[in-house]
Amino acid sequence: MNYQARLANTMATTAHTLLEVRGLRTQFQTGSGIVTAVDGVSFTIERGERVAVVGESGSGKSAMAMSILRLLAHPGKVVGGQVLLEGRDINALSESQLNKVRGRQVGTVFQDPMSSLDPVMRVSKQMVEPMMRNLGIKRDEARAEAIKWLGKVGIPEPERRIDAYPFEMSGGMRQRVMIAMALSSRPQLVIADEPTTALDVTIQAQIVEVLKNLTSEAGAAMLFITHDLGLVARFAHKVAVMYAGRIVEFGRVEDIFARPCHPYTQSLLGTIPGTTMGKHERLPQISGLPPDMRKPILGCAFKDRCAGVHERCHAEAPALSDRGIEHDAACWLPKGLDSVAMLAPERSARAVVESAGTDKVIVELNALRKQFSTSKRMVVNAVNGVNLRVHRGETLGIVGESGCGKSTVARLLLGLEKPTSGDIYISGLAQMVFQDPASSFNPKMTIGAIVEEPLVVKRQGNRTERSAKVRELIEQVGLDPSHADRYPHQLSGGQRQRVAVARALALDPSVVVADEPTSALDVSVRAQIINLLVDLKQELGIGFVFISHDLLTVRYISDRIAVMYLGEVVEYGAAEEIFANPKHPYTRALIEAVPVPDPAIEARRINVPLQGELPSPLNLPIGCAFASRCPMATDLCRSTKPQLPNHDRARQVACHHAT
Amino acid sequence: MTEYAAKKFLQMLVTVLGIVTLVFFTLRLIPGDAASAMAGDTLSGEALERLREQLGLDAPLPLQYFGYLGDLLRGDLGETITTRIPIAELLFRALPITLSIALATIVLAVLISIPLGTLAAFMVHKGRRWLDNALTGAAMVIDLMPPFWTALVLLLVFSLGLGWFPASGQLNWNDPSSIMLRLALPVIVLSLSQVATLARITRTAVLDVLNEDYVRTARSLGWSELRVLFRHALKNAALPIATVVGLSFGNLLGGTVIVEFIFTIPGVGNLLITGINSRDYQLVQTLIVVYALVFVLINFTTDLVYRALDPRVQF
Repeated sequence: MNYQARLANTMATTAHTLLEVRGLRTQFQTGSGIVTAVDGVSFTIERGERVAVVGESGSGKSAMAMSILRLLAHPGKVVGGQVLLEGRDINALSESQLNKVRGRQVGTVFQDPMSSLDPVMRVSKQMVEPMMRNLGIKRDEARAEAIKWLGKVGIPEPERRIDAYPFEMSGGMRQRVMIAMALSSRPQLVIADEPTTALDVTIQAQIVEVLKNLTSEAGAAMLFITHDLGLVARFAHKVAVMYAGRIVEFGRVEDIFARPCHPYTQSLLGTIPGTTMGKHERLPQISGLPPDMRKPILGCAFKDRCAGVHERCHAEAPALSDRGIEHDAACWLPKGLDSVAMLAPERSARAVVESAGTDKVIVELNALRKQFSTSKRMVVNAVNGVNLRVHRGETLGIVGESGCGKSTVARLLLGLEKPTSGDIYISGLAQMVFQDPASSFNPKMTIGAIVEEPLVVKRQGNRTERSAKVRELIEQVGLDPSHADRYPHQLSGGQRQRVAVARALALDPSVVVADEPTSALDVSVRAQIINLLVDLKQELGIGFVFISHDLLTVRYISDRIAVMYLGEVVEYGAAEEIFANPKHPYTRALIEAVPVPDPAIEARRINVPLQGELPSPLNLPIGCAFASRCPMATDLCRSTKPQLPNHDRARQVACHHAT
Repeated sequence: MTEYAAKKFLQMLVTVLGIVTLVFFTLRLIPGDAASAMAGDTLSGEALERLREQLGLDAPLPLQYFGYLGDLLRGDLGETITTRIPIAELLFRALPITLSIALATIVLAVLISIPLGTLAAFMVHKGRRWLDNALTGAAMVIDLMPPFWTALVLLLVFSLGLGWFPASGQLNWNDPSSIMLRLALPVIVLSLSQVATLARITRTAVLDVLNEDYVRTARSLGWSELRVLFRHALKNAALPIATVVGLSFGNLLGGTVIVEFIFTIPGVGNLLITGINSRDYQLVQTLIVVYALVFVLINFTTDLVYRALDPRVQF
């Protein structure tokens, strides 16, 4: 049975179907042309089912989700298709009729909790009034109900917190409020648009559990938009993979992860550094960029990046077709690519400096401390006694959640901040690659000038020597020398990050500090940058400090890992050992919290997320900083701070109870 | 809130002291003094000295300064040098007129510009730009017309030509309708440029807020567009608008001097012009302090309003 036929069939079985989207089309009329962000999307959601929509930025996944309730702002417009909610086409409704569906039948949770609540209105007001309207209850009743919901989503002291303003809450708390708001009117469907992307991994794990438990408790279905395949594996019953405005693959989570049939899905799954992947394997990467959505796409949208491309792909776009039970893919090849291994690029032929065995220390931090004073004469202990070493040709990964001090360590290393006490020894020069390549370049400078700048500052060479060096650097990071004359806005995010790497290498540094260098990039591009950094480390024999909250990437790229919590290193050791046998309860919780893109592993996991949030760095506890959240904490932990043992040891854990 | 107000009030007192000091010494820096300015070529030698003595100008500067401060604290604003009329008395008659003009202008401007700007923003947000374009065009034309020119044109057309508004005459507080007629043209002249500024600020502020995520959240809860516009968008946009209203109130005081002169209205502006023309240092000094005081008071009020509107404002 093909997809269309099955669509017709589902009409007969609407009793189970909650939402059916048919041929949804959404366009944005921009100054430079019409972008068809959603180009004929069809799928169904059964009652109580969790469907994840994955795709990279620009794939149209958010636009699609927002189109269901017509929540797009101008110039976005739903131009065609049907959205059948319990058989009624809500896309045909007037605004005022649709307002009776919004919030009442369909609740929505948005991505950024920091900006999604009205900053000048108390939480109580923002929650109670919609409930009074949607449930037809009185104010007191609605307030009591709201408090109940706040308690359910895990807000401590809900009776008191309900009258807080959003700015008095942390991001995680605000997202809980958003979820309580969305669920409190008892909707049948919850649309969640990247609800955990802005949150730290342990908070993400908590929020995901809350969403999962509360929706299944209420029997509500969920449409979950994400770019994180690990979350999909943890969370969803079904997945829709979107590319260039269309669903290219749809099916049950187990099927999609075990037997992906579309080359894009196959590549995406391959680009994530898995838990079982060996250190010396290269990450498969998807070359090229998504198509320009302003232009009509001839044939398959993925053809330019597809390893299995053939003639038919150029002429005709494949429609979704049957690949198994409830499994559809839009590809001419019945099983997609034979193997994704071929996507892993050949290692460049340049000489590889053998880095193993070098024990020359190039960076050494001794009892490093950094305090910031706030306006109210309080002291924030951002970095609280850190000892670390980086050897030549080694990558040190620093992981931890926001506020753990990892970025401050980077800034100290580069001399951008002066340490309060302790010392930093660097043999040679340290250079930096920043998180957001778009905002770390002067938009008025050409790529060539950006890469050349460090050389100019240090007065190295004359003009011809410098331009030869710039050319060499640009080629070294895998760009064409012709890029030197372009401006940053003419490059993609991945290309810009390559430029950032080239600039960091201009002065032949001995160590490069990369602070979240891949977090602003899409999955397919991320693999390209990771491969580049690995290559460079081996070719140049320089040291890397890789700072990230993305544990899977850190594990893949690092030789050694330091786990930071509240300004301190709580565990240090070889990357493989840390992951295979985490000793500190925080490391364990962190690894537990990371969703793995494998539904089988996720299903076996018992997800009891780490409770609570990071304590304020203003008044640090006397004992172990982690004691307030630690399941193993005893009186000893609360009264005596565990110390990292002598930092010459290969494996160090700061915990009284670690064995 | 009380603590915040008290803190802001203290700040205000410091500012006022600074202004008084600055005005006092700046005027003393000008070559020559009140006595020689008053006397011109008519007096010399001993007569001039006697005049100085009379005016208290022979005392050392610090003594004069503290004497002046003491007078101010007692509420004694002094007398005009030429006509020997207590300045407090002059202000008592002139200040209400000027403040009426300024207040009426602000109220009129706010009543017109905020709905207009909000509507323009709302329409732009929905993809319809004609009102916004019209508003921008009109604002540009208004900005190109200096107020003194607009004032003269309105005076020519509506007072001298059509005779709708009186161009001169006494202001009688017991006859409100006559006062309204008399002040209408000056208020309209001043409102024009205020409306142009405020409508644009409102438009931008509301449009910014309409693009905020929490507006989308409110829409996702099922609130109608109008409710979202008034309950969420306008409330948040009120913050930048309040700041600009406060600031433009200050600018308005400058504008009143011009219109009072053109429409011969016996307000503080005309008093200031008289003072300058007759080189009455005492009068000019006091009036500058009064203007500054009004300005500072407005800022103080803006701060309190801002704090009331935005719970996030900290000290």
